[in-house]
Amino acid sequence: MSKTFGLIATFGNTHKLYQAAEEICDAGFKHWDVYSPFPVHGLEGAMGLKRSKVPVFTLVGGVIGFISGMLMAWYMGEFDFPLVVGGKPLFSPIFPFPVAYEMTILLASFGTFFGMFITNRLPRHHHPVMDFNKWPGITDDQFLILLEAKDDKFDLEETRQFLESLHSLEVVELKE
Amino acid sequence: MSAEVANPPMEAVASSNNKKDLATLALVVGLVTLGLAFIGLMQGWRAGDSRPFLGWMIGLSYWLSMGIGMLFLLMILYVFDAGWSIVVRRQLEHAISGLKWIGLIFLPVIALSFFYPENNAVPWVWMDPTNITPHGEPVGGDILHQSKSGFLNVGFFTLRTIFYFAVWIGLAGLLRRCSFSMEKDGDPKWSRLAHNVSAVGIYLCALCATFAAVDWFKSLEYHWFSTMYGVWFFAESMRAGLAGTMIICWILGTRGYLKGIYNRYHSYLLACLMLAFTVFWAYISFSQYFLIYNANIPEETFWYSIREINFDGSKNSWWWVSMALVFAHFLFPFLYLLWYHNKFGLRVIFISVWILVFHGFDIYWNILPGQIPSDENLLGFTVRPFMPHWVDILTMIGVGCICMWSFIISSRKVKSIPIRDPRIIESLNAHE
Repeated sequence: MSKTFGLIATFGNTHKLYQAAEEICDAGFKHWDVYSPFPVHGLEGAMGLKRSKVPVFTLVGGVIGFISGMLMAWYMGEFDFPLVVGGKPLFSPIFPFPVAYEMTILLASFGTFFGMFITNRLPRHHHPVMDFNKWPGITDDQFLILLEAKDDKFDLEETRQFLESLHSLEVVELKE
Repeated sequence: MSAEVANPPMEAVASSNNKKDLATLALVVGLVTLGLAFIGLMQGWRAGDSRPFLGWMIGLSYWLSMGIGMLFLLMILYVFDAGWSIVVRRQLEHAISGLKWIGLIFLPVIALSFFYPENNAVPWVWMDPTNITPHGEPVGGDILHQSKSGFLNVGFFTLRTIFYFAVWIGLAGLLRRCSFSMEKDGDPKWSRLAHNVSAVGIYLCALCATFAAVDWFKSLEYHWFSTMYGVWFFAESMRAGLAGTMIICWILGTRGYLKGIYNRYHSYLLACLMLAFTVFWAYISFSQYFLIYNANIPEETFWYSIREINFDGSKNSWWWVSMALVFAHFLFPFLYLLWYHNKFGLRVIFISVWILVFHGFDIYWNILPGQIPSDENLLGFTVRPFMPHWVDILTMIGVGCICMWSFIISSRKVKSIPIRDPRIIESLNAHE
C-alpha cells in the first residue's frame, strides 16, 4: 500500500467535469478515466475516446461463422455422408445458406459478447479506485477523474497542481 | 443542450418562397415527359404491343413503391413515438403528397384495361379469356384461371386498385392534415389522432401493398404463386422510401431549409434503418427463391427459370440482372452500410443513390420478364428480354418530376419543421 496508483480529482458538477476532461485530453494523458453516476452526453468526445473496437470482433465472428457454416455443409455433403436429396447437387451454396446464415449470427453475437469482455478487460473483481473513501458516492453524487501513475506524463507534484487548476474540489493521492 | 440548436434561425423555419422556379420547372418537365410517354402508350395500344404499357407500369411503380415506403415509415415513426424523427417526419409528409398524383397517373392504365381488356396491349393476359397461354390453350379453358377467376377478374381487379389508392391517398391526407392542423392550434389531440390513425393504417397499408403487388405484378404470370411476394414489395418499398428520404433530407440539410437542423444523428439513424431493410429485403427475396428452389416443382420454378435461362439452357439477359440484384442490390450496400463512417454525409448519399438505381433493376426484374407465346421453340414461348424502353424512362422522369413538384408545393404551405410538436426539442437536440 505504498506505491502511488494515481491521483483522484473530485468535481462538483458535470460542467466542470466535462471541461476538466477536455483539458486532460488536450494535455495528452493516455491512462485516465472519468467516473460519473450517470451518462454525460458528449463526454466521450471531450475525453477524445475513439470508437469502440467491438464491431471488429462482431465482423470477424460473422465472417468466420459464414465460412465455417458453408465448409461444414460442403464437408458433410461431399465427403462425410454424400447423399442426394431432392435431386440437388451434393454441395451448392444455396441450400446450406440458412446454416451458414445462422452460424454467422451465432458467431457474430459471440464475437460481440467476448469482444466486449476483451476490450473492457473483464472480468475484473477489483480496481484500486474502489479503495477511495468516496467511491460509494459514485452511484450518487460524486464526479471523479482518475489519472494513473503509469502514464508517461504523470508526475506527482506537477499533475497534482494541474488537477487543482481544473476547478476540482479536492485532489487525493491513491495508493495501491 | 446548446441554445443555438434549440432555437433554429427564424429564416430557416419560415416557409421558403425561393423555389417557385424549380417547382414550375419540375411541373413542366413532368407534364411534357408524361405527355410523350402517353403518346408511346397509345401507339403501343393501337399496335397491340404491351411493352409501352409495361413501361408505364415500371416508371410509375418506381415512385409509387417509394411513396408507399415513406407512408409506412411515417406511420412506423408515429406508432413508436420516435422523438428523434420529428424534423424528418415533416419531409415525409411533403413527399407522400405525391401519392394522389401517382394515383391519377395510374388511371389511364386501369381505365384502358377495364374498358378494353381484349386489347393485346393489356399485359394482364388473364383479363381476356380468348388469350392463348404458352401451353397453347385459351385462358378461358385454363383450370388455373378458372379456379382463380373469382378473385382475378377485371371488375374486382379494378375495384381493388381503386380501393388501394383510396387507402393510401386517404392515409396520406389524414396524416398530413393532423400534422398541419397541429401547427395551427398546437392541440396535442392531433398528435394522438395521428398516432391512432397510424396504428390502424399500418395494417391497412400492409394489406393494400400486399394485394397490390399480387394484383399488378404477380398476376402478370397468373400461373405462379408465392406467399412471399407481398412482403418483397413492402421490403423493396421501404428501401426505396428510406433512400429517398435520406437524399431529400441531405439536400435540404446542406442547401435547403433544414440547414443546421438536420444533423449527424438523424442521418445515422436513417442509415441504420437502411441497413436493416437491406438485410430484410435480402432475407425475403432469398427466402422466396430458396423455398421454390428446394421444393423444385415446375409450377413455381418457371418464374425463376425465365429470369435465368433461354430455351437452349444458355443464360438470358435477366441472368445478369439477377446477379446484379444479389451482389449490387444486397451484398455491396450491406457491407458498405455496416461501417459507421459510411452513415453520414456524401458517403450515405452515394449508397442511397446506388440503392435507388438498383431499385429500378428490381422493379424491372419483377415486372418485365414474361412469357410471350411463340412458335420459335418447343416450350411455346420466348422471354421478353431486359431492355429499357423510352416509355419506361420518360414515365420514370415524368412521375419523379411530378412528385418533386408536389413536394415543393406542399413544403410552401407549412413551416419546414413542426415547431409545435411536443417532441420537437427532442428531435432538434437528437444526438448519439
